[in-house]
Formats: sequence, C-alpha cells, structure tokens
Amino acid sequence: MPLRPLLFAAAILAFFAAPQLLPEFYLFQICLIAGTALAVLGLVVVTGLAGQISLAQSAFVALGGYGASILAASWGVPLWAGIPVVAVVVAGLGFLLGQMTLRVAGHYLALATLAVTAIVQLALIHWEALTGGAAGMAVPPFEIMGRALTSGRELYYVIVPVTALFILTAQNLIASRFGRALTAIRQSETAAEAMGLDVLRYKAAAFAASAFLGAVAGGLLAPLSTYLDPAQYGITYAIYFLAIAVVGGMTSPTGAVIGSAVFVLLPNYLQAFQSYLGLVFALLLLGFIVLRPNGLSSLPWLRQAGALLHRTTGPKP
Amino acid sequence: MLAQVLVSSVTAGAVYALIALGFVLIHKGTGVVHFGYGDQVTFGAYLVLIAQMAVTGLPFWPAVFIALVVSALLGALIYGGFMWPLRNASLLAKIIASLALGTVLREFVRAFMGPNAWPFPFLLSQTAVPVGGVLVVPANLAIVGVSLGILAILFLLFEKTLFGKAIMAACDNRIGASLIGVRVSHVFLLIWVVASVLATVAGVLVAPLLTLSPDMGLIGIKGFTAAVLGGFNSLPGAVLGGILLGILEALVGTYISSALKDMISYGILIAVILIRPQGLLGGLLVKKV
Repeated sequence: MPLRPLLFAAAILAFFAAPQLLPEFYLFQICLIAGTALAVLGLVVVTGLAGQISLAQSAFVALGGYGASILAASWGVPLWAGIPVVAVVVAGLGFLLGQMTLRVAGHYLALATLAVTAIVQLALIHWEALTGGAAGMAVPPFEIMGRALTSGRELYYVIVPVTALFILTAQNLIASRFGRALTAIRQSETAAEAMGLDVLRYKAAAFAASAFLGAVAGGLLAPLSTYLDPAQYGITYAIYFLAIAVVGGMTSPTGAVIGSAVFVLLPNYLQAFQSYLGLVFALLLLGFIVLRPNGLSSLPWLRQAGALLHRTTGPKP
Repeated sequence: MLAQVLVSSVTAGAVYALIALGFVLIHKGTGVVHFGYGDQVTFGAYLVLIAQMAVTGLPFWPAVFIALVVSALLGALIYGGFMWPLRNASLLAKIIASLALGTVLREFVRAFMGPNAWPFPFLLSQTAVPVGGVLVVPANLAIVGVSLGILAILFLLFEKTLFGKAIMAACDNRIGASLIGVRVSHVFLLIWVVASVLATVAGVLVAPLLTLSPDMGLIGIKGFTAAVLGGFNSLPGAVLGGILLGILEALVGTYISSALKDMISYGILIAVILIRPQGLLGGLLVKKV
C-alpha cells in the first residue's frame, strides 16, 4: 500500500484544516514549535550528524532576528526578502566559524562557540544605535503583498511550510553523499580523512548550514514575538536548544520537532509550577543524556513507525 | 592611578584564578571539562544561606562548615550518579552532561531561592587601608591569599606526593593505572569531592564581591578564559591566567571603554584557543591516532 503519498495528503489536509479548527493560542504555539524546531534542526546537522558541539546556535538565531529586523526598520527591506539575505550572510559567518574546527575540537570547540554567543549578545547590548541596546527593539510586521501578517494565525502560513520544507530536506540529506560524509566524520575523523574526505570543508559546511537554519529561525520567530530582547539570546538560550536536540533525538530531524513540541507545550501543563519550569527542563536534559542519549525519536514504537514508512518507500523486491 | 587600577584588578583576577583552579583540577585529574563549575560556585554560596534558613539562628561560620560538607556530598553524587555511568560515553555526551548539571543547579537555586539577588556577608573588613599610596581592601586580599594558598596545596599534591602521581596515572591511562594497583574510581571520586568543596570555598569568597543571584555562575566563562589562557593542564597557569585576565580587563575598562571589558575576555578566549591552544604554561598536547 502506498503509505507515503497518503501521509503527505493527510499532512497537507491537516495543514489547511488547522487554522479553521484551532483557536489563535494553539496556532501561535504551533508557530513557536516550528520556529524552534528550525533552530534546533541546525544543531541536529552540526552536532548530531557531524558531531561538532556548538553553543553558537543562540548567536545565529539572534543575528537572524536582529539582522532582518534592522534591515526592515532602517532600510525598508521587507522581512520576506531580508530574512533569506541575512541568513546567507550568517551562513557565511558560520562557514568562517567552521574553519576554526581545523584546530579546535571537543571541549575547546564548546568553549569557543560559547564565547561567540557571549560576544554577539554583548554586541547587541552595546551597539545601541543599531539594536536599541539593552532595552531591545520592536520588530516591524511581516508584510507580503501589502498585507501585514501579525497574528499566529497568519504567520502560520509562512513559518510552518518553511520549517516543513527544511525538515524534509534535512531528512533526505542524511542519506545523501553530504549526510553520509558528516556521519563518517562524527564516527572517526581520521578514518573519514583517510577515505579521502575533505573533512574541514564538510565541517565548515555543516556549521554554515546550522548558521543558515538558525538565522532563518531567528528571522521567523522575530515577527512572531514582535519584540527582540537581547537578554534572551544568551548562553541559557544556547543550552535550551541543545536540551531540545538531546530530548528529541540529536541525529533526527523529526526529533527536532518532537523535542520542540515537548519544550513549548510542557509549560501549558505546568502552569501551577511556573517557577520550577527551568528546573524541569534542566532535569529533562540531564535525565536524557544519562539514560537515553538518543532522545525521544529513538523510542522503539517511534522507530518502528519510521521503519514502516521507509519500507513502503524503499525499492520493491 | 595606574597603580590603583592594577591593585584593584588583582582581586578580580584572583576570583577568576580561584574558579580556573577548580576547572584545571577536574580536567587534570579526571580528563573532564566541567562546564557547570561556575554554577557549582554559585550553588556553594547559596548552600550557606540555605543552611542558615534551615537552622534558624545558625551563625555564619558553622553554616559555611555545613555548606562545605554538603558540597563534598554533592561532588560524590556528581561522580557516582553521572560521571561514572558516563565514563565510556562520547566526549559530546560528557560535555552536555556537565552543562546540564550546571543548569540543574542554577535552576534549582532559581526555583527555590528566587531569581533576585541575596546579600552575602564579607569575610573581612571592607574598609580600605592605604598601603604605600594605594588603597588595599582586606576582604579582597583574602581572595588573593586563598587562591595562592590553594594553588600551593594542589601544586604540592600533584608534584610532590605519590598520591598526586597516582592521580596523574589514573587520568593518563585508566587501565594501566588500575593494573599497577591504583584504585581509579576512588581517585576520581576524591577529585570530584575536592573540586566541589573548592567550588564552595570560591563561592563564599566571591559572592560578596559579585552579586549573589542564580546567574552568578556565568562568571564561570571568565574562569574558563583564565584556565585556557594559562594552559588548561597547568595549576600555576590557572592563577597566572586569572590574574593576567583581571589586569587586562581593568586596563581596557579604565582606559578604553567599559563596554569592551567583557568582550575582551571572550575575544581572548577565542584567540588563545585558535593561536595557542596549550596556553601560556601548558605543555603541548599531541593528538594520538
């Protein structure tokens, strides 16, 4: 039975039905999940697939959000054009940062990317003329063809398809030449090099991809939150993304969505324990990394569902 | 003016040095870089406050003693509960676990002690005493003294005692060390206990100088910078790196711009990692295939 086309049809149906059936609150949450998942997807590529730890995802998201907003506020570039432009520039920065991995790995890479996040946050706070300083800045509305998308219900039509597109691309990338090269590098850099892979270029490309995805996510989350606060884009945010990736499943693009859904929806069910929320997230991260380092997407029944999908799409015997 | 800036900056430097010593101790002793160490420092200071809350009317010093004992237990828990089960896990998992440990401690403090700052008493007088034309604060001197004292003790331990050699052997080659009779798990347990106690000592000294809030642990990144600058495996390097960083920050803050002060330390961190990853006093690390 052709399961995959059926599932696609169901997904498209659900996509158009959701705005008709769900109230604004849930659509906003879906947008938040999608935007967060996109940022985490970057981490899945660079840390999950290529094995290079990165605490710079927070910086990329900040640069994407601020970059697109500043372009729109100061030069009148609409967000739909500004976000891709900024994302390409940030991807270039990510590529440069990736060059660092020639000399740096493991602990030192974690430290260096941590420092990048700290530097970007400080720059956002102190470059007041451009960023509004510690007070933050308002995000111009996302306008398409003269129509401003302001609510979660309207932004839904932008954020969810973009995220779905990148998740599918990443899913297909895993089995491609690029994806297999990254996996080889994660498992043994020396062996990958011996096989003739240009290890540095692949690692830098992985960083560029993570920066690109982070910047797009930042650009899309900015009009959703309507306000950028530099205090948000610190080391805690970088660890938040890492926690989502670990809980969802470090090597799985769908894991990024599952993890984001857990972290965005959980606060709704813990309203009585608002002040313990940070502790719950931290304990989740610690528990998963010790007990189930491959995350939720490695749960047996989820794996079986995934295998079922692949079996139906694989070559027929 | 310059002399005063230098004298004051040494205090900040000693704070960094104290935290860097903990990093180096754990890394030299167990091969793990503990990314949550800064939060453990904060947690140590909060332990004193928690002890005073639990037992009403408890004076300061007994509370410090209780905090030290509890942090020793915490160190044992970290090793037994997390680092030992993860001993064969990938480096990535270890890094994330240590980050997670720090986040748990920070969020624990935020959840139970609130997000706002707490007052914390100074150990010694804060009144400045003029010494040869510059003002010296006894409370700050204590930090410098304690950092140097801890450096001396750790240095003697590693360089002069058989136990220190056992630690180095255990870290260098776990199997080899256990073959010649070193109880590797005991050695690692002890390192974690000592480093955790050290974190609380640092926390008690540092808390009155900085603001004691859940986010004080972010000072840890300065400790990293100091440790990296000095050479991650060198104890004297940690102290040298800390004090150098303190002086550099003070000079930049005074003469160039206070906004650049923090950025300079992160810039140094990246530059040292790229240009001289072994630091000022560290030995060259050869990567084996």
